[in-house]
Amino acid sequence: MGIDRRSIVKFLIGGAVGSMFTPTPWILTDDISIWTQNWPWVPKNIKGVDAYVPTVSKLCPSATAMLVRTVSGRPVRTMGNPEHPLSGGKISPLAATEVQLLYSPSRIKRPLRKASDGGWKEISWTDALALLDEKLGFVKGSATRLAVISGDQTGTVNEVLSGFVASMGSKQFFLMPSEAQTLARAWELMGGAGMPGFETAGSDYVLALGADILESWGASTRTRRAYCEARPHGEVPAATYAYVGPSCTNTAVGADIWVAAKPGSQAAVALGLANLLIKAGATSSAPDFAAFKALAARFEPATVAQLAGVSEANLAMLAEGLQKAKAPVVIPGSEFGQGGSVAAAAAGMALNLLLGAYNQKVGLRAVPEFAPVVEKAMARKDVMANDLAAYMQGLAEDNKARPEILITYEANPVYALPGDVAGTVAKIPFKVAIAQFMDETATMADLVLPSPLGIERYDDVATPAGCGVAIYCLNTPVIDAVNPAANIHGGDVILGLAAKQNANLGFNSFKDVLAAKAKAVGANVADLTAGKAFVSEAVTGAQPSLAAEAIAKSLEAKAPEGAYALAAVNKLGFGTATTAVPPQNLKLVREFELAGTLMYVHLNKATAAKAGVAQGQKVTLKAGDGKAIPALVNISEMVMDGVVMAPCNLGHTAFDEFAKGKGANVARLFTAQVEPGTGLSFWTQTGVAIEKA
Amino acid sequence: MEEKRAHNADTGGQCSVLGGFLPFGLGLVLSLLVGWWLSPKLLFSEQSQPVAFNHKIHKEEAGMTCSDCHYFREDGSYSGIPTTKECADCHEFPVGSSAKEREYVNKYVKKGQEPDWKVYQMQPDNVFFSHAAHSLENCGKCHTDWTEKELCSTSGCHPDIGDSEAPPKYSENRITGYSASTMKMWACEYCHAMPDHRAYNANNNACFTCHK
Repeated sequence: MGIDRRSIVKFLIGGAVGSMFTPTPWILTDDISIWTQNWPWVPKNIKGVDAYVPTVSKLCPSATAMLVRTVSGRPVRTMGNPEHPLSGGKISPLAATEVQLLYSPSRIKRPLRKASDGGWKEISWTDALALLDEKLGFVKGSATRLAVISGDQTGTVNEVLSGFVASMGSKQFFLMPSEAQTLARAWELMGGAGMPGFETAGSDYVLALGADILESWGASTRTRRAYCEARPHGEVPAATYAYVGPSCTNTAVGADIWVAAKPGSQAAVALGLANLLIKAGATSSAPDFAAFKALAARFEPATVAQLAGVSEANLAMLAEGLQKAKAPVVIPGSEFGQGGSVAAAAAGMALNLLLGAYNQKVGLRAVPEFAPVVEKAMARKDVMANDLAAYMQGLAEDNKARPEILITYEANPVYALPGDVAGTVAKIPFKVAIAQFMDETATMADLVLPSPLGIERYDDVATPAGCGVAIYCLNTPVIDAVNPAANIHGGDVILGLAAKQNANLGFNSFKDVLAAKAKAVGANVADLTAGKAFVSEAVTGAQPSLAAEAIAKSLEAKAPEGAYALAAVNKLGFGTATTAVPPQNLKLVREFELAGTLMYVHLNKATAAKAGVAQGQKVTLKAGDGKAIPALVNISEMVMDGVVMAPCNLGHTAFDEFAKGKGANVARLFTAQVEPGTGLSFWTQTGVAIEKA
Repeated sequence: MEEKRAHNADTGGQCSVLGGFLPFGLGLVLSLLVGWWLSPKLLFSEQSQPVAFNHKIHKEEAGMTCSDCHYFREDGSYSGIPTTKECADCHEFPVGSSAKEREYVNKYVKKGQEPDWKVYQMQPDNVFFSHAAHSLENCGKCHTDWTEKELCSTSGCHPDIGDSEAPPKYSENRITGYSASTMKMWACEYCHAMPDHRAYNANNNACFTCHK
């Protein structure tokens, strides 16, 4: 018997039949199907003990309180802290990404020195601080050669930074522009004590004058919580919300009433409402009531309609709503959380005084400041009076002495300030960025010092801007620093430098500063360490004025140029100047917000027809001095006539593949001017031209 | 063909039957051998546990019970394998004089490292398994005659190694990377798809009951 073809075929058939009676083909099929699901990006479970560590977001301007869920010490997610007044169980879209941002490709992992070829050279902390110490030695004692900019709006680190600047003989300590500065300046002009805060919880009529209170204005997560509680699902709302602004922001979406008004017209609307309320009998014991009444009388409904685009009927409806409410509150603010008019803020606060909503449970409240602990720190009033936009403008025009050293602390002025300040910053000989991410300012720096994220460090949060009660919270590290060489708090860096410069600030470590602050606040340190907030509902101060004189003078401000008004919108999901859009949040960017590298700007049908542009058309928005950004047109009736709405926080030239080159930076178009009567720059009134590209 | 017929005629037909069946039978037998004996050996790699853990000695000499190490935490999550820190409660220093004990203490306890335990029933990452939902507290409501040991072992989820002196070998599937003992969905469905169970949880066989 030989082996022929037939034998082989029979052998194979026998093998095939036999294999059917074994588990092999079935197991292999199953295993291969399982193997096809083993992709490297499938998330892996972490086994271990669950813990929920309380902290407060230092990245999100809303200062959202959160619980960081850790599994065997490793952070996996953040969630709202139901026990905390700055959350009530809710979380902002930016705070929700803080765990993921620990591992952002843009994070600065170690000190870097700009090399002569423009690249980065890693250096040790010792060498970095020695270099900075040497440079500081040359500017000590000069009032103009050192400038420091802080992007932290709520932390005691600002006392350390301003104390250091003062000890070095300078007063050039600036905060990045925010609502806190606008409100503080307005409150100072009104002679108010403490800090102005607005309490919405318990109100039956909340009027947001421009302020995007449910999205980007102040402690928005806290405000949202109050909104939710006043409007339980399926029940009759206990509060009416009204929004006055040029576009249908998230606040307008949530509100019962949206009244369209031109960008930056809050003062005119507030004075128009004041006029109607005074006519209806509202009064105030403020010393300048008569002057204010006369000023408001100039804002008849027809005038307001002309200045702000608010119809007479709508103005009357808002006035009636306020008048009938038992516990009204008016919250003035910029549509995008910065660059607001001080006069508008004062006029809005004056409305609360006219309504009797002052230092009550609801409404405008004079919230006490916490006592400073760094003896040499600049007074808050003086810090708030320092106008960064005007300073940069002065440097650009060579009207101010250029500093030799610029230190930025978790701030990104190159990206966020109005206009184009990159050229101005480039001329500063030595720039130091204490930063968490490689943003536009860090990219331009000569020395970059890494800063740990909020959940990796000791830090604090004191009464966010506009908050109706005084709140103090202490953060302890939730985890060890992900990057071991990025575990030194900027406060410790500055304290060490101050000691070397013989400008001792009285503390050996930033942790000591925080311990002293907690004591000064009067809080139980053990409670603070356990994640509880210190809350004081006390109010301070006597009767403020209505700032009639300053508001009247502010009306002399230059009218915006350009055929169309620019309305910027700030969405927390898109991040901030210092975080850019977190990779996790790219899914929040909708179809008609970004297409490839071009962002959409939004116009209504009438405006588009006037400009002669169509849906999806590429255009260039131009403001004065050759400032221009490219964009695509989206026609939407969520914007009022004559207004172009554009999103903030896009168009980064730094960061990573997730943020870089996506859209355009609308801040380039902002046109700042110093407001007559109040002395602080504002840029809520920017005119633009629309050109077809 | 003519030649072949002549040849068959010469052998009288008997050899023709065998010759016809032999290659088929050979293929059949070989494939059965490969399928049942060789293929499992090739498909799975046998690995040893990093520590020669003796369950029996802990149970009999230290008087420990299963739940001393494998317990539910306060929040309902299951501890699984104890951490080195927990083991160090007793093994901070070598207990006894065995070389393996000294090796364990030196290699893991002193360095604070976790052994790379190979979990026989580790589920894939797309499966959510809650021990709490499968505890005697729930299953024992009806299966009143079950002990915890029976629930864990006899029902087919875990092998009974509570009395073992050395951990059994761990078989890893070379294609999937999972343990040979990892339960497949049909095994889960033995209970989840059982009609009697639906009276207690109408959705207990829905996809998202187990899959994320």
